[in-house]
Amino acid sequence: MTLKRQLLLVTLLALLLPWAGCEFIRETESALRGGQQQMLAGTARALANSLAVYAEEYPDRIAGGLAAEQLFLHTLAKPPRIDGYIDDWLLNQSSLRSMRGPDGPIRMALASYGRTVYIYVDVRDRNVVYATADTLVLDDGPLYADRVTLVSSNPPYLEERFVFSAEAPGAIVSYKQDDYGFAPEPAIAAHWQDVPGGYRLEARIPLDMLGTDLGFVISNTDSPDQKPLRISSFSGRAPLPAIRPSAELLSVAQSLVQPGMRILVTDASGWRLTATGSLPITTRNNSFGKGWSRRIYDWLVEAGKTTASAEPDPSGREQQAYVSAALDGREMAAWFRGDDNGLAIVAVAAPIIDNNTEDNDILGALVLQQGTDAILSLTNESLARLINLTLIATLLVAGTLVGYASWLSRRIRHLSVAAVTALETETLHAALPSALAEDEIGDLSRSFSSVLQQLGEYNAYLRTLASKLSHELRTPLAIVTSSLENLEHEALDDASAGYITRAQEGTDRLRRILTAMSEASRVEELMAHAEPESFDFRKVLLSTVDAYRDVYPERRFDFECALTGAPAMGSPELLIQMLDKLVDNAVGFSASDDTIRIGLAKEGDNLLLTVMNPGPSLPERMRAQLFDSMVSMRGGENSRHLGLGLYVAKLIAEGHGGSIAADNVPDGVVFEVRIPGQDSR
Amino acid sequence: MAKRIAIIEDEAAIRDNYSAAFRREGYAVDAFDAREPALNAFDNRLPDLVVIDINLKDDVEGGFELCRELRARSADLPIIFLTARDSEFDAVSGLRLGADDYLTKDISLPHLMARIAALFRRLDAMKKPQGVASRLSRGDLTIDTERMTVHWQEHTVSLTLTEFWLVHAMARYPGHVKNRQQLMDAAQAVLDDNTITSHIKRIRRKFIGIDSDFDAIETVYGMGYRWLSE
Repeated sequence: MTLKRQLLLVTLLALLLPWAGCEFIRETESALRGGQQQMLAGTARALANSLAVYAEEYPDRIAGGLAAEQLFLHTLAKPPRIDGYIDDWLLNQSSLRSMRGPDGPIRMALASYGRTVYIYVDVRDRNVVYATADTLVLDDGPLYADRVTLVSSNPPYLEERFVFSAEAPGAIVSYKQDDYGFAPEPAIAAHWQDVPGGYRLEARIPLDMLGTDLGFVISNTDSPDQKPLRISSFSGRAPLPAIRPSAELLSVAQSLVQPGMRILVTDASGWRLTATGSLPITTRNNSFGKGWSRRIYDWLVEAGKTTASAEPDPSGREQQAYVSAALDGREMAAWFRGDDNGLAIVAVAAPIIDNNTEDNDILGALVLQQGTDAILSLTNESLARLINLTLIATLLVAGTLVGYASWLSRRIRHLSVAAVTALETETLHAALPSALAEDEIGDLSRSFSSVLQQLGEYNAYLRTLASKLSHELRTPLAIVTSSLENLEHEALDDASAGYITRAQEGTDRLRRILTAMSEASRVEELMAHAEPESFDFRKVLLSTVDAYRDVYPERRFDFECALTGAPAMGSPELLIQMLDKLVDNAVGFSASDDTIRIGLAKEGDNLLLTVMNPGPSLPERMRAQLFDSMVSMRGGENSRHLGLGLYVAKLIAEGHGGSIAADNVPDGVVFEVRIPGQDSR
Repeated sequence: MAKRIAIIEDEAAIRDNYSAAFRREGYAVDAFDAREPALNAFDNRLPDLVVIDINLKDDVEGGFELCRELRARSADLPIIFLTARDSEFDAVSGLRLGADDYLTKDISLPHLMARIAALFRRLDAMKKPQGVASRLSRGDLTIDTERMTVHWQEHTVSLTLTEFWLVHAMARYPGHVKNRQQLMDAAQAVLDDNTITSHIKRIRRKFIGIDSDFDAIETVYGMGYRWLSE
């Protein structure tokens, strides 16, 4: 991983900044809300106590799941017309109770206005069977009709039934039926309306005619001779007590409620007995409420439910978790946040406990709600500012760090490139970048410099090693040779003479090696003192190549030169010595009868001398050191080569202001020497 | 009376070996290991030929010093430098100080003996009147093989022994290319390419010093050299 990426990763730590800020805001928010909830809870407890006094206003608790079957009397704002339409009830659609019927859902509602009760039933029925005179009231065969029955009882008194069936759509007459018989009930107004796929019934009944327990039974038949299917709103034998809003509790609650506060009172099953008060409605529009910042906010701060769910439940039964907890005897708080207007609601539900009974029965729950507009809008704005500021800060930090990292890595890269270049071009004393910097990169640069310098000194030492060595060895060699030569003049037997001959051969070889070793330094010296002369390189090569043909009869030599003359400046003898080395090399790496091609051409201002031989390719790893002192590519049997030949060739080429290079060609190797040509003016 | 050779050499083994070889050839030998004792001895009597090592122990240039002093005492005393150093610069310095030859220590004893004999022969020839038989003329060039002297356009060209032998080898058969091996044999020395090149260059320079139009020695690149005679 590059330095830049590493620092970029480290930069991510800067994201802790906004996180910490958000965490702080979250803490503040929950502390503030907690305080408000505590306050509200205190009020709620006090209110619950005062409401517990009216124990008789709370219906008896209905066991278990049966409570859901109780019918709830909604309170209407104005009396509706009896026309089969529920629109003028001004109720929420979800206020309607729904049951499963044979042809689809059956929906119904019960409401009161003053001392009048209104009912509305919407039945899905594929095939509406109207009543006849026989079936208008009676429902015991042999003929049947579709009908709606409102069952009313006032335990322990007898059940009464209000039967609604139609001979035709429109206003209908309802019959009251009890164990003693039936009669039309003129006090009841009812309207039967056919709609596609079913019918609707709306009716008005004086409150006094109804008992405390109410239930619906829907009879559905597909033809007059078929026994109808009966669907009841209650699962037991008798209907359950209907929930009526308590006027007593309402007046008490109204006296207790404060502005900006809402009080709900429920019975022990959660059925709402009264609701009063209203919450402030914020009109201020906060742009922060939408888009990505809202999502960040939701993610940071506890999501909470929307304020809509804090409204009184349209079905009449409060089923929020905090209300359920209160009904179980636990006081509990909840909070609701506005969707897009910055309004939030803190709510507390407290159980209403009847202190007069031994078991401290729970009569119901008191729900107290208060708008907390101030806190949320404050945090919204500060959060927006915080997020923006920390994001900018993070970006700045990231940008700075990445820039800094780029600068650092660029310096390091420059240093590395410069070091490699110095190594390749052998300008080992060249100044490296950042050498004057006082930081660690400066240190690195200086250590690089010193390493390179030492390498340079070592290389220089290597270069002179051969000539120094040959010089030092010459004196002991002279001792050996002169001793051997003296020995020759002594009287020796044949065996000793043989040894002497061998020893002399050995010293001879040693001497040749020493001469080869000091050749480089002598060439350097010659070059330093040489007086350059003007000559025709082509002519020189022509006669030299001729000479090679004599020296190496087992090789063929081609000389290719398209030039008519190749004037050059320098020492032809040294250039020939260089060519000798290259040809010797070419001969060494080629086989018998191979053709060695020597070429001379013009390349810009330079003369290009090429020596090409078939044979093995240059190993890639040796390429760079090929022309260094004491480097030989040759394997074991040719170990007499000290690796000085190509070094001498390089010395001569460079001494003439030229260059030498080697390259692989198909099936062989080519050496190229470039030396400046002389202008043929 | 036997000729007396002085050898000044700090390396005892070489000194003894060379002394033994000289004695075997019938020369009297004075061996010294430093400059001072040699000069003290020479105060009494000069030897007939001196072999000097340039590098005398700590006295790095002692050989040169000695050569200078000897040349001051005698203009025709044959002096041979014998050294482990093979640098061109040393050779030039040595010869400029008036040495008759400059040899590296890897010269074989027979070759060294041949040179010493030749130098003595030349010394003897100088004392006799000039003989015609020993003359070799090639145009402007006249070589006296006895005295080992060379004249170009009647001017003496002062050559070292090695140079003289090289010129002689080439001029004997003008027009013939003498390759390096042949030249080495003629000069009674083992010389590498560079040394031959240097010798030829020095010879040319010496002739050109007399006649700026001198171009009788031709380089046949890759082969050798030949003497051109008009």
